[in-house]
Amino acid sequence: MNWGVIGTLVAKDISLYFKNRFFALITVLALVGYTVMFFVMPASVNETVEIGIYAPNLPVGILDRLAGDGVNFVAAPSREALEATILGGDQPVGLVLEAGTVARLVAGQQGRIEVLFATALPEDFRDLYTTVLGELGFLLSGRPLAVEIDEQVLGPDLAGQQIPPRQRLLPMLAVFILMMETMGLASLISTEVEEGTLQALLVTPMSMRELFVGKGLTGVTLAFVQVVLLMAVTGGLARQPLLVLVALLLGAMLVTGVGFLMASVGKDLLSVMSWGVLALLVLIIPSIGILLPGVVSGWVRAIPSHYLVDTVHRVANFGAGWGDVGVNLLALLAFSAAFLWLGGAVLRRRFA
Amino acid sequence: MNPVRIGTLLRQEIISGAWSFFFIFALVVPIVLTLVVNLLFGTLLSGKPKLGIADAGRSQIAALAGELDSLRLRAYPDADALLRAVEAGAVDLGLILPEGFDASLAAGEATEVTAYLWGQSLLQNRALLGTTLVQLLRQVAGQTSPLEVVTTVLGDGTVVPWRDRLLPFIVLITILIGGVMVPASSLVTEKQKGTLRALTITPTTLGEVLIAKGLTGALLATATGVMILALNQAFGSRPLLLLVVLALGSIMAATFGILLGALVKDVNTLLATIKGIGLFLYAPAIFYLFPTLPQWIGRLFPTYYLVAPVVEISEGGGWAEVAPELLILLGLLAALLVVTAMVVRRISHYGADLNMMPAAA
Repeated sequence: MNWGVIGTLVAKDISLYFKNRFFALITVLALVGYTVMFFVMPASVNETVEIGIYAPNLPVGILDRLAGDGVNFVAAPSREALEATILGGDQPVGLVLEAGTVARLVAGQQGRIEVLFATALPEDFRDLYTTVLGELGFLLSGRPLAVEIDEQVLGPDLAGQQIPPRQRLLPMLAVFILMMETMGLASLISTEVEEGTLQALLVTPMSMRELFVGKGLTGVTLAFVQVVLLMAVTGGLARQPLLVLVALLLGAMLVTGVGFLMASVGKDLLSVMSWGVLALLVLIIPSIGILLPGVVSGWVRAIPSHYLVDTVHRVANFGAGWGDVGVNLLALLAFSAAFLWLGGAVLRRRFA
Repeated sequence: MNPVRIGTLLRQEIISGAWSFFFIFALVVPIVLTLVVNLLFGTLLSGKPKLGIADAGRSQIAALAGELDSLRLRAYPDADALLRAVEAGAVDLGLILPEGFDASLAAGEATEVTAYLWGQSLLQNRALLGTTLVQLLRQVAGQTSPLEVVTTVLGDGTVVPWRDRLLPFIVLITILIGGVMVPASSLVTEKQKGTLRALTITPTTLGEVLIAKGLTGALLATATGVMILALNQAFGSRPLLLLVVLALGSIMAATFGILLGALVKDVNTLLATIKGIGLFLYAPAIFYLFPTLPQWIGRLFPTYYLVAPVVEISEGGGWAEVAPELLILLGLLAALLVVTAMVVRRISHYGADLNMMPAAA
């Protein structure tokens, strides 16, 4: 293995890549675009709903019993003020509880409350609030329920410290960046095949093995540098940077192997692109599971990118360490090695 | 200009192009997007709290919860399945109801029930589900509410659901992929393979070839546009008007595709160009997505006049509502046709076919 020759090939490929002004511009634009997409997403999660209330003479403590951590009651001095806050969009729901109603309920009689909804509150949600506020009647009339509800939290309790949507999106953006570069690498190889320059290179003293190691290094370098830039700018390297970098490097190797496979099965550039879209659709599935928990089931572990996005998610969002994601890294390493070997072997066989 | 030759070319374009990547892409992507959007924004991302119940008996709790539109109810066959669902975040709150639970409640016996909460569930979902659960338990226990709840909706605004907000984006994608990508890629591929030169050696003129390619893109974009609107149940009450608007938008997209195909030299550059101008093309859809943004900015982009009439008609609008946008669309189309004709004539002047254009020289 002549590393000097391989280095020259990598330098040539990267130089060619960036000499094409379109590709250079688009690479930068895509990186900027994904970064902007990250920062456009909400940085925090509002976990509570506010309900406006106009209720003169309401006994002290009643609202606290109904409110809990996720619902806040905001008192209004008058019905008009309550309507104004709802129309102004400050609260989606308001409750009018006249003084006479409270007295009747406390005396064990029937009462009537009015619930005001903002039009912005989807219709589907209105019966939920109606049901919740109906509980107020039971609380005021002092009717107990002979059921004790014991609450148990499964998994890490993130109440009050939820993961913002942008942090959930980050693993998906990383896979996007990696896969885009894979398509770039596969296109590069495909173009060389179409133009015959790949065969021309093999006429030189360079061996087939050196050629594909060079192409692989080009792919890994391009993918790794971009995804690291994305993670650095978005704060994805703030926790356990070395661990995240190792995961990303393994991810770059994995997608480079996928790129080799795409280039080997594709007859031309368009064919490579169609395989690339298919591969992207499959590899993106695990990150959907992070964006929308509960959507995907256990079979997602069969997709190699699961071990990348799960590692990035757990390290960046839960502060997981080497011991927590060690199995993930081993699986990712195995998948990366398998895909690199398989892709390289199929590609070599095609051009041997 | 020979209509018979254009017809032959058009047939050939459709038959041979139907197996090309872009043709399939133009058909598949809008359908996949529609399915994904309906799946996600129809149910999954509705923001409704999710309640899971594993009912060993035949408790009324599940039936009563199922009547509430504001929460999503999922039934599980046993406790293990429910706990797995809670841990995975498939539901916010899981409830295991033992056999005879309702009877104990109705008898007023002291009963215990465990509510399993997903650790990443929002506080508001926990609170709303918890209180709703208490209300359901009271109903099953036979307690009637001492309160009559009267509801009033304030204001006259309307809420646009995410599914509707995304419709313009899907329509734009549908028209632009079919209308722009298909004719542009077909033209560029023929330029690269040299078959365009071969074709123009026959009595067929360059204009006829370009019209056939443009028509292929326009027909494909219109057909997929109709299909997507039908899938999204957004055909409105004036289907003929909608068809006319879709066809005009598709012709505009196809003309742009021909212009693009004439100017770029290879598929790589075509893809890079489309990636580069993608934000410009899809910008109006972004303003539909976020109604709080100043909507006038969307009108600055030409593709706004392609998608706005479609959306207005699908929401029940008629000629009067879409006339201004339609007039601007016709103006833009005329201008684009003139520019494309000038570019093609100039390129033809350089070398009888598009291979000799200055950009590729």
